[in-house]
Amino acid sequence: MSDNLDLVSKVLILDNAVEYFDTIKQFCDENGLIGLRIHSNNVLRTLNSYVDLGGIFMAEDYAETLEKTLELAALIRKTRPELPIILRRKTDSSSEIQADNLAKCFVDSYTIDDLSPLRKFIDDYIFSIVYPNALIRGITEISVQSLQSQFKAQTVTANAPYIVRDRIIFGEVFSLIPLESNWCRGYMMLQTEESILDSLVVSDVGLQYSQTPFRELNNLLGEVTNLIWGAFKNRFINDDVDRANRSVTQVPLVINHQNKYISFGSENPQLCFKYTLLDEATGLFCSIYQWFIFNLDFTPELFEEIQTTVDDLIDSGELELF
Amino acid sequence: MAKILIVDDSSTVRDQVGEFLTENGLDYISAIDGKDGLVKLQGDPGIKLILSDVNMPNMDGLTMVEKIRNELGNSTVNIIMLTTESNPSMKERGKAAGVKGWIVKPFRGESVLTAIKKLIE
Repeated sequence: MSDNLDLVSKVLILDNAVEYFDTIKQFCDENGLIGLRIHSNNVLRTLNSYVDLGGIFMAEDYAETLEKTLELAALIRKTRPELPIILRRKTDSSSEIQADNLAKCFVDSYTIDDLSPLRKFIDDYIFSIVYPNALIRGITEISVQSLQSQFKAQTVTANAPYIVRDRIIFGEVFSLIPLESNWCRGYMMLQTEESILDSLVVSDVGLQYSQTPFRELNNLLGEVTNLIWGAFKNRFINDDVDRANRSVTQVPLVINHQNKYISFGSENPQLCFKYTLLDEATGLFCSIYQWFIFNLDFTPELFEEIQTTVDDLIDSGELELF
Repeated sequence: MAKILIVDDSSTVRDQVGEFLTENGLDYISAIDGKDGLVKLQGDPGIKLILSDVNMPNMDGLTMVEKIRNELGNSTVNIIMLTTESNPSMKERGKAAGVKGWIVKPFRGESVLTAIKKLIE
């Protein structure tokens, strides 16, 4: 289990048993989970939208019949295999589900009287990677600072960081930049909605586009990415350590535009942050989602924070003459 | 009037810095990477100061500085790096190549004005 006390994850709760709501809610509250309940008619529509989930809790009597519940689970597995599903059964043998059917759709099962499999489920599939608190805190600080430097007219706030297994892309525009160090190898991705970012940017007094708007917005997102990447390197990556011995392994990234899907070739859950840019004058706001995908290597034991003081952060922008 | 060369692959940064220089009555031209920076410098003897990024495609900023000093033999143009990099070994490389100053992004106008005042005015 992660020791990141601030980390949360969203789980879809496909369970209509009113009598167990409080128990499941209490479990979620105690384990950093945000439970989302939806009507059975909306399951697939919800899964096709961006809900950045960590996993799914499903009851065997969620649909009208057990058979229909299994059909729905199979459909979810087919459309979103990256999302692990755990099944709540009334008792260990309350219904006759063949073992292979169970294994095909669900990673495990539990009963309301024994939540230990549920705890193991979130440890194994959601909070399976330990992210140092200094890393989480530092990413938030440098990202807010970088965003604020480019969106001076807006107020930038950070939501609580969370874990996702989802591979659905948010919005229409995203940036990717590799992260390479002796303790991590992977990517940082920033995602946002083009039209909303555009509305926010043009609301800035005096802004004139010198290129077509989408190119300007691409460049702006690129510069924010560059600023965060640079600050991340300065704070967390010691370039002098072990550069020569770093792995050169790579895996293909697969992006499906039609389905807004991206795969980094790893089954690991991903560390995510959400930032909000709010224009106080107009009330317009824009969300920027930031994913850290350490798909090639993550060795938190080697993690170290190089630059830790607030003074150091404030010093960015100062001239150092030689 | 002394002219400033902005070298950065980000058009956002080129626009931000250029707008700031114009607002302060300064003349500038831009280059999109180190290679383009070398071409622009050779084509304009009025350039007295270069504000350059480090991480750029085609040719990075420090390689450009080394070429300006060693291959072009230009030891007079003042060069300030405006970059996200703050790694001491990279600063040392810049210093050894003849960089006069270092500013860690995000861009802050007063630092650029200070550099201009100290180095070319």
